[in-house]
Amino acid sequence: MRRHHPLLRRLVRFAVSLAVLVVASFAMIHLIPGDPVRASLGPAAPVELVQARTAALGLDRPLPAQFSSYVTGLLSGDLGTSFLTGEPVADVIGARLPNTLGLALLATLVALLAAVPLGMLAAVRTENGRNRGTEAAFGTATGAAVAVPEFLYAIALVTVFAVGLNLLPPAGKAGPASYVLPVLALAIGPTAMLARISRAETLRELGADYVRLARAKRLPPVSLYLRHVLPNTLTATLTLGGLLLGALIAGSVLVEYVFAWPGLGLKIVESITQKDYPVAQGVILVYGTIVLLVNLLVDVALGVLDPTSAIRES
Amino acid sequence: MPRTPSAVVGAVLVTLLVVLAVIGPPLWGEEAARIDAGAILQGGSVAHPLGTDNLGRDLLARVLVAGRYSLLLALAAALVGGVAGIVLGGLPSVLPRRAARFVTGTVNALVAFPGLLLAMFTAVVTGLGARGAVLGIGAAIAPGFARLTQTLAASVAGADYVSAARMLGVPRHRVLARHVLPNIAEPLILNLAQSLGGALLGLAGMSFLGLGVQPPSFDWGRLLFDGFGRIYVTPEVALGPAAAVALAGIGFNLLGDALAKGAARRTAPGRAASVPQPQPHPGEPEPGAALDVRELTVTFPGGVTPVRGVSLSVRPGEIVGLVGESGSGKSLTAAAVGGLVPYPGAVTYGRLLLSGRDAGALTQKELGTSLAMVFQDPMASLNPVLRVGGQLAEVARVHQGATRAQARRRAVDRLGHVRLPEPEKRARQHPHELSGGMRQRAVIAMGLMATPKLIIADESTTALDVTVQRQILRLLREVTEETGSAVLFISHDIAVVGELCDRVVVMYAGRVVEELPVDRLAGGAAHPYTRALVASLPDMDTDRSRPLASIPGRQPAPSEVGPGCAFAPRCPAATERCSASRPPLVAHGDAHRVACWEVS
Amino acid sequence: MNIEELSVRFGAFTAVDSVTLEVPPGRVVGLVGESGSGKSSLAKAVCGLVPYAGRITGAARAQMVFQDPYASLDPRMTVGASVAEGLPRLRGQARAAEVSRLLALVSLPAELAGRYPRELSGGQRQRVAVARALGAGPDLLVADEITSALDVSVQGAVLNLVRSLRDELGLPILFISHNLAVVRYVCDEVAVLHRGRLVEHGPTEDVVGAPAHSYTRDLLNAVPRLPRP
Repeated sequence: MRRHHPLLRRLVRFAVSLAVLVVASFAMIHLIPGDPVRASLGPAAPVELVQARTAALGLDRPLPAQFSSYVTGLLSGDLGTSFLTGEPVADVIGARLPNTLGLALLATLVALLAAVPLGMLAAVRTENGRNRGTEAAFGTATGAAVAVPEFLYAIALVTVFAVGLNLLPPAGKAGPASYVLPVLALAIGPTAMLARISRAETLRELGADYVRLARAKRLPPVSLYLRHVLPNTLTATLTLGGLLLGALIAGSVLVEYVFAWPGLGLKIVESITQKDYPVAQGVILVYGTIVLLVNLLVDVALGVLDPTSAIRES
Repeated sequence: MPRTPSAVVGAVLVTLLVVLAVIGPPLWGEEAARIDAGAILQGGSVAHPLGTDNLGRDLLARVLVAGRYSLLLALAAALVGGVAGIVLGGLPSVLPRRAARFVTGTVNALVAFPGLLLAMFTAVVTGLGARGAVLGIGAAIAPGFARLTQTLAASVAGADYVSAARMLGVPRHRVLARHVLPNIAEPLILNLAQSLGGALLGLAGMSFLGLGVQPPSFDWGRLLFDGFGRIYVTPEVALGPAAAVALAGIGFNLLGDALAKGAARRTAPGRAASVPQPQPHPGEPEPGAALDVRELTVTFPGGVTPVRGVSLSVRPGEIVGLVGESGSGKSLTAAAVGGLVPYPGAVTYGRLLLSGRDAGALTQKELGTSLAMVFQDPMASLNPVLRVGGQLAEVARVHQGATRAQARRRAVDRLGHVRLPEPEKRARQHPHELSGGMRQRAVIAMGLMATPKLIIADESTTALDVTVQRQILRLLREVTEETGSAVLFISHDIAVVGELCDRVVVMYAGRVVEELPVDRLAGGAAHPYTRALVASLPDMDTDRSRPLASIPGRQPAPSEVGPGCAFAPRCPAATERCSASRPPLVAHGDAHRVACWEVS
Repeated sequence: MNIEELSVRFGAFTAVDSVTLEVPPGRVVGLVGESGSGKSSLAKAVCGLVPYAGRITGAARAQMVFQDPYASLDPRMTVGASVAEGLPRLRGQARAAEVSRLLALVSLPAELAGRYPRELSGGQRQRVAVARALGAGPDLLVADEITSALDVSVQGAVLNLVRSLRDELGLPILFISHNLAVVRYVCDEVAVLHRGRLVEHGPTEDVVGAPAHSYTRDLLNAVPRLPRP
């Protein structure tokens, strides 16, 4: 394999993934069995209406022509128009995207801040198999927490804090208080997962020779853990945190649904059930692009922050 | 599989789920379908503990019945995803190069997208319903599977034994069938089992959003969808399906973790717990020694004793070599002297004196400044994210109370002392910017930040090229002469030890078998093991016309050492006495001690 | 075996730089050099495991024995099955007999055929790997650091085996090692690689006794020696 600059390789990978995404989102409407317009308007709709709508959408033109106008549209920010409301899809997404982004960012932040200290502490307490009880408890607790899906956390939180105790709003977006439950519901599972990874990474570093040497130098524990171990574990943890952000942006669908959160997730569910294909297509494209962008940013940031990542990769 | 509490919980939950799937529909199927117009949309009561739905059907019965459908759908989705993934991941190893790269690229692109997004995409295309949800979750699982298959196949394909098969002309499909598939099947099956839990949760999510199972069919997700609208009034109606989904998810996850751990640990030996206490009889301390150890023993739980009553001493300015083959206990001896034996190893000794003071009574600061260690791998010995100078300076900062500037100056001075060119510049660099030899110099410089009484060098030149090794050996010699510190040099390479050291201590199966001045190593060794070791070592003077000596058999593992001389089974001179009782280490001429019945 | 103007490149990095070398029949040629000298890349090129430029003749059936005795045998196959991999045309009795013969060639008892690699010591595994390679009827054996992972006390048996293969089978052997003392002991000729280039090549006595190149001298000077009384 030829060797290129790592940044260049990442950009190429990004471009390829983006191309796959664009082709897939274009193909989506054409992959739907039967006539998507007919499916959307229902069997009772008059033939003339279906034909008119099909023509208006350009779906009767040859595929290459459709694809080129699709791509041209994308480049000018045109994601098509909703079957149902006639609104430009870009406007629908523009109005809702910030709500989804805010939720995902907060949840990622909460997960990272909680998980890294938790994982390190667990590692230090259970190194080399001491405190087997703590190790088992940590493993079981995080294993169980990871296994419960976020929508169940959401339902449980609503039931207890909104319905039962009436402390926090049960649904909708209205002020800072309304963020608490959705962010928590999104963050619990990833916190448990990241804590496990942080523990494993810490344990790996604790077994490294430079830690043995630092111990031979009799450095005090604070210096050993915070100065030597933590920076080496952060690379992996932050990478995962970045990927997590991407996953949460597109993964908050169920939580948005539970909290009737006016974000993209709620919109895509509506558009699928109502067969509003252009909206579904647009949301999937935007989700995918954001995920790819976040991944690219994580890679680039790592390359800049970690002086050894180039070495590690080769 | 390890029998941890979480493994047991996981196994119990999954078993319950399977049992429920089998007996649920026949037992409660009728009740789950019975419509009762007089009891619609009720909350929990004695007759209906979880309430009823909009047709008055009992929700508890419906939850119990829905288990089978939920599990079957999850099974279908996991299989769809697993098979698609394995095919996609396996294709590159059979396709022509260009097509293989295309498939790999597509998989890499797909892996970047979250599973839910792929599931949504598939759901749009296939329409609402159980079929669409199964395909969608399958599509979400497939890329990860494909990537795993690729990685596993690539790692096996890169293995030496596959290269060997290719050189033997074994055809490609046979390599795949005989080497690659058997070696990747186990992790793939394990991953399939683990993704079953993920599929169950994913399907529950799809049905909960109304995109999955449609009435009159119902799975747990669908029941949750129906109950969710009512949680503000009667929260218990959502409790049943929610608990079922959560327990199933937890069960699969804990069991999967345990299975994965079991697979990883299969080769590791089991351990019991008993720590035999040796009888320490220290005798008189050796005056003026930098290191004086008597009856040092390292024990691990289960009666595994890799180091058995080792005694040795090193005088200031002396370099003592500790040689032995892998498994002789030499490195653990060094770790025990440095106080770095990993838990759960237990260290006992009759005496462990550093410059005449009990090592157990020294403070961290005293230990940190009087003891320096140099390990085998110079890359791993330095923290990759910290600058070289900073890592050196911390000893002075922590133990000697130096200011930042003082510590820095000292670090640069020490780097110069070990003949590192441009010490100022090197101090500002990260470890990966230095060559292997330079890094080992930096590690030695780190040990010299204070004035160490003892330097422990554990295979410190093994990873280096011979020319660099020569430089580091010379450096160690110079450092000893200049600072008067003692060196305990651990190595498997008897020639290196012979070149560097003043005195040699030979270990076999956890014990010292001989201790002798270095100039007697080649011609005057007394112990049959030492003699055989020297004879089996080719050097630049070995007679090339004669076969090289080698020792038959192998060194016993720490758990296999019997009451007699551990070398007896491989020893040409062994008698019955040798296998019955262990010879003590006794004087054998000047500065020479040996543990052998046939010699002493 | 003859190689002419052999080069191996990985991207912009040249691992082997136009090396010309001959391994005559019945000779053991040692290839020495430090890490990064290109000796392993050269070995892989000779065995067709990496792409190269240049000409290699007389190594169409070259077989390699690897450094790590723990990675070179499939852990799921018995010793017998591994050795028999090079014998696709033999079946049943004939196959078992040939496996026994090959094991005997490397001084291993025939009973070992039913064992798994994990039951064998490192030295025994290396000998099994040699037996497997011999099964293919090689025209050249490439031994890549085959004793580096072994303890000194068992290394001798493997080195003696290399010499007996030359003496009894007349097999040409390319013996790669970083250990000059080992190379001096087993090889008839020594070739010294430095940064991908061949800097010296000649009969062992000449290269070791009167090295012509300064790098060879550095290498020789660095070899640790036991002090002789």
